[in-house]
Amino acid sequence: MYAETQNDITRLVVRSAQLLLAYGAESDLVEEISQRLGKALGLASVELSISSNSLVLTSLVHGRCITTTRRIREHGINMMVVCEVQRICLLAEKGIYNDKQVKRRLERIEPKSYPAKYVIGMIGLSCASFCHLFGGDIASCIITFIASAIGMSVRLSLVKKHFNLLIIFSITAFITTLIAQMGYIVDVTSTPKTAMAASVLMLVPGFPLINAISDMVKGHMNVGISRWGHATLLTLATVIGITLAMALGGSLFL
Amino acid sequence: MNLILELLHDAFFSAIPALGFAMVFNVPKRFLPYSGLAGAIGHSFRTLLMHFDMPIEWATFTAAALVGLITIRFAKKHLAPPLMYSVAAIIPMVPGTYAYNTLISIVQLSVQDQISSDLTSLVIFNGLKTVFILGALAVGLAMPSLVYYRTRPII
Repeated sequence: MYAETQNDITRLVVRSAQLLLAYGAESDLVEEISQRLGKALGLASVELSISSNSLVLTSLVHGRCITTTRRIREHGINMMVVCEVQRICLLAEKGIYNDKQVKRRLERIEPKSYPAKYVIGMIGLSCASFCHLFGGDIASCIITFIASAIGMSVRLSLVKKHFNLLIIFSITAFITTLIAQMGYIVDVTSTPKTAMAASVLMLVPGFPLINAISDMVKGHMNVGISRWGHATLLTLATVIGITLAMALGGSLFL
Repeated sequence: MNLILELLHDAFFSAIPALGFAMVFNVPKRFLPYSGLAGAIGHSFRTLLMHFDMPIEWATFTAAALVGLITIRFAKKHLAPPLMYSVAAIIPMVPGTYAYNTLISIVQLSVQDQISSDLTSLVIFNGLKTVFILGALAVGLAMPSLVYYRTRPII
């Protein structure tokens, strides 16, 4: 293998690792996929060091090492990308794809997301069914639906403008809680508290939390702790939004 | 008979949030129903266990481990990462009301001039429930891959 080829293959491997981390895969999966992809494309070994916002990768073949570093910028969770990279790895491993085809397919990946109107509707329904599961009556379910649908549309429009994630969570929690307080002001429901608890559940940082635990128990301690810190900060931002809205609406002591 | 109806009701209303969150995480369209199915099975299994007087923390742990097992099956079938299905599937089991009650009691506690023992006990009770249920969810989900897939890759 010539040095040029090793360069190219290392770039492909580090690109796929970078994509996986940026779109929310756990460290164990990233390590596994990049090592398997590297071996499939002809490298002798691939070693990886992942930290919270960057990634260092060394590839070895014929006694020659290449080490390269990439910065990781989080792009939100997108499982389509993760799924696609895993598929490319499997195809390369089975010998169906060579490095040129892997490169072409990696370049073609672009994160697609569902249309906003469907996501908003589904999140509204989700929070309404949380409210129902927690024992709320029909009126409070409807309030939850309205509050979380409006909150979700605010969240999506803020995400589009590339605000800081913490600010997005605070503002969304604030607006959602402000609307969910309707149950206290208009006397239509006997369980206004359930509506308020259920409508902010769309802000649960599910992926950071699960990834954090999953990383920590599998031995990627530093990435796990940083993800844990991220999840805690997001929760704190949500809490600030909720308390502000309740202090403003006066429902704190009802 | 009543129990079966209750479980079906439970499964239906937990499949909706699982589907909704799977859409937020941009799970590909053809895998969405599987996320919903795993969510429905997990939550109704927890309800079944709690029906037999199991404490909520242990019931959550077992249900999360079951979700982990099911999603590994799905992952093998579709050649996709298992966390793709399972994170959306355990969202219905998140202790929302406990977390909310903890938060409200803490805020009320902080604006009073005296420490009231009622509020303090509310904070401790709800806070402990929240922490343990969340821990049970996360660790339970990781269980199958820790116990069965120690050395070999899942896919």
